[in-house]
Amino acid sequence: MSPICDISQILEDELLRKVTKPTRYTGGEHNQVKKDWSGVDVAMAFAFPDVYEVGMSHLGLRILYHLINEQPRMVMERVFAPWPDMEKAMRSRGVPLFSLESRRPLTDFDVVGFTLQYEMSYSNILNMLDLAGISLFAEERLYGDPLIMAGGPCAVNPEPLAPFMDLILLGEGEELLPRVLQAIADFKRDAGLGAIAGGAAAAGDDLAERRDRSRREALLLHLATIPGVYVPALYRSEYAADGCFLGTTPIREGVPAKVKKQIVADLDKAYFPTTSLVPFMDVVHDRVMLEVLRGCSRACRFCQAGSIYRPVRERSPETLKRQAEALVKATGYDEIALTSLSTADYTCVEPLIKELIATHAEQKVGLSLPSLRVDAFSVDLAKEVQKVRKTGLTFAPEAGTQRLRDVINKGVTESDLMETVESAFSNGWTSLKLYFMIGLPTETEEDLEGIARLAEQVVYKGTAILREKGMNKSVRVTVSTSSFVPKAQTPFQWEPQAPMADLEEKQAFLKKRLRDRRISYSWHDARISFLEAVFAKGDRRLAQVLHRAWQKGCVFDGWSEFFRYETWLEAFQECGVDPADYAYRAIGYDDPLPWDHLDFGVDRRYLIREHKKALAAALTRDCRADQCAGCGVCPTLGVSIDLRGGDHVPSPDRL
Amino acid sequence: MFRVRIAFSKQDPVRWLSHLDTQKAFERAMRRAAIPLAFSEGFNPHPKIAFASALAVGIVSFGEYVDVDLAAAVDPAEVRERLQKAMPEGFGIHGVKAVPPGTQALMAVVNRAQYRLRVPLQEPLDEAVIAAALSRSLAEASWLVEREGKKGVSTRDIRPGLFQLTGSRTDDALILEMLVQTGSEGNVRPEEVLEAVCRYGDLSVDRERVRILRLGLFVAQGERLLTPMDVL
Repeated sequence: MSPICDISQILEDELLRKVTKPTRYTGGEHNQVKKDWSGVDVAMAFAFPDVYEVGMSHLGLRILYHLINEQPRMVMERVFAPWPDMEKAMRSRGVPLFSLESRRPLTDFDVVGFTLQYEMSYSNILNMLDLAGISLFAEERLYGDPLIMAGGPCAVNPEPLAPFMDLILLGEGEELLPRVLQAIADFKRDAGLGAIAGGAAAAGDDLAERRDRSRREALLLHLATIPGVYVPALYRSEYAADGCFLGTTPIREGVPAKVKKQIVADLDKAYFPTTSLVPFMDVVHDRVMLEVLRGCSRACRFCQAGSIYRPVRERSPETLKRQAEALVKATGYDEIALTSLSTADYTCVEPLIKELIATHAEQKVGLSLPSLRVDAFSVDLAKEVQKVRKTGLTFAPEAGTQRLRDVINKGVTESDLMETVESAFSNGWTSLKLYFMIGLPTETEEDLEGIARLAEQVVYKGTAILREKGMNKSVRVTVSTSSFVPKAQTPFQWEPQAPMADLEEKQAFLKKRLRDRRISYSWHDARISFLEAVFAKGDRRLAQVLHRAWQKGCVFDGWSEFFRYETWLEAFQECGVDPADYAYRAIGYDDPLPWDHLDFGVDRRYLIREHKKALAAALTRDCRADQCAGCGVCPTLGVSIDLRGGDHVPSPDRL
Repeated sequence: MFRVRIAFSKQDPVRWLSHLDTQKAFERAMRRAAIPLAFSEGFNPHPKIAFASALAVGIVSFGEYVDVDLAAAVDPAEVRERLQKAMPEGFGIHGVKAVPPGTQALMAVVNRAQYRLRVPLQEPLDEAVIAAALSRSLAEASWLVEREGKKGVSTRDIRPGLFQLTGSRTDDALILEMLVQTGSEGNVRPEEVLEAVCRYGDLSVDRERVRILRLGLFVAQGERLLTPMDVL
């Protein structure tokens, strides 16, 4: 009996009935692609290092899955981190980690590609490799083993994962991933011919292993010449005797000193699937995700996404309308989300919304806008959208005072916020969510007090408006704070994180201060933010810590019920690595950085300039409406801002 | 308003769908099939879809039924054809009929469920042993089972809710077929019947690995068993 059959039978007969939410593991969703492997040259497993319902909400998976499966000789299947109950059942029955589509073990694939969405999913990567029976360290893997790949936002600094990864893809995958898979398929074909020729020599085990090693090395060397492909094993990081990081350089000829991220120049012509998987169980984003634009030019100084997805590129309304219609037809979803980093910035947003509503209202298909600006225009859009279905409203002023909002370049004023809130309450909303960050550079008690004061003002304003309208209902304001995490490739990459004790004190202050029963306050665990900071700015030395923490049982660190902070601290100690060195060190402008050999197009001089302006609380304007701020992305990557609305400029609050 | 009754089956891999997931799968398939759903009023309109009975996760069924309200009259044959094409793998659409106005709700009329269980044997048993075990257990006047509810564990007698029971053997498994009560008067679960047979009949089988098949749901009218499609 083949192992595929075995896995399926054990699942159906024994495992699925024992676990929570079995449809996490069954596959079979509408629009699933099940290919015949005999006609395929290269097989990739898209691995999401979190549970199914989180992974299935990821737009990148949805794009790449259909893109690769539309290539006649390539196949992509999915795998997610099994929930601990399933992991336990699998281990006790000896079932290796398998793909959902064909229920094959991951070792059957040529490539296992992990997407790096957040630092706290790294331990799950090791756990998934182990569960698949794949050697964790790249140097232990042979030619016949799958290539372990990674990509996604955290690839901006993948160094803590370097020893585990064979290759890392920098930037957007629509063009890069098929190119890399084709190169792997071609290499395999050529090497395959060679293997048959050399096979007659009846090589001994040692010889065979050596041949496999050199073949694998040849493949990696070849892949490293593709722009956007980073092969960590071909680079060495050096450290001074005192432990100071000195730099990362290639160790082989022909390997680029700097790997440059790849992006699609014309988003309107870029691949976007007109079909989409429809999960059975509830997933986080269970709707049509229509990507209206990529990038954001608002240049908030803490925001890594703002740096790495530049420049702003929009899709045309015609394309979007066509895609929306096809996707609703293909999925049967009752909601279309217009996604991007800031959807209200889309230059054609108003006509697009009106037309989408007109087209889909009869089928009761609603719209949603997950990311809105703090302005009245956004409320108008939200009002338009909720004609079909009522949605909640969330705004992110990020900081409590004008001074601090200027430091982070969040160009939102208090009057913007109050105007927005007034408009929201007048238009029928009775509850709002407000997002803030604590521990931002230069933050003082006044800024914290500002958060509380803003929340109270919003409550007073809302209560007054509701009373005026004769409504009996009480206002609800939810305040949520996350802790600032300095991230690579942002103007705040030089900044230390606020000490954990300070962050906890700030949370306690707000908890005490926000006593009004109409306000509820929630906050993120500062210990998780601390580890995020460590890994966001870490180097290769963190790999052993990660490995140790996983050995000691750390998985699903982003989930509070599994997060084991003490165990993490033990792992750091056992490896002789001080996490505080990474999170709390202020980095000098001339210090080498662990991600210096990875070129995301953002100029170091620009980041320094922005950092200095931040400390002076000076604003930088939106490069779409004003002059170019000189971030360097357009010339470096050979692209330019691509707007579809022509004469539209961003809303006046920024000018 | 126009209502249709749909007869369907649920097999691998969708036997693992919960009742709620099944409801959602129907709603989405109807939309893909461009069959106009009728919606409730209010801020969050939802389609009016009512199943005969919830099917527990993991059970394969050949006889499930659902009533769906449509916004316009559609030929039932066309609903069947379009919906079958739009359903996820594992769902079969076996019949669609228009529901005349004034018909009793599906949930209110269905009162019998027929199951077939396949349970691996732990020791070799012949047909005679199985027959003896069945008659021994059927001779008991009451079958007490414990059920965990919201208010803690309660004890119920399921014997009055069992109407037919037969047993046989294939290969290395016990096959049980049963007709039990379901619906508003109370449900008897097939695993509970198995448990009782094992206990009162003194049978030893691998209950952990039972496979359950729901053969159908019925409307008992006196001695007659009708399907929900027959009563239209």
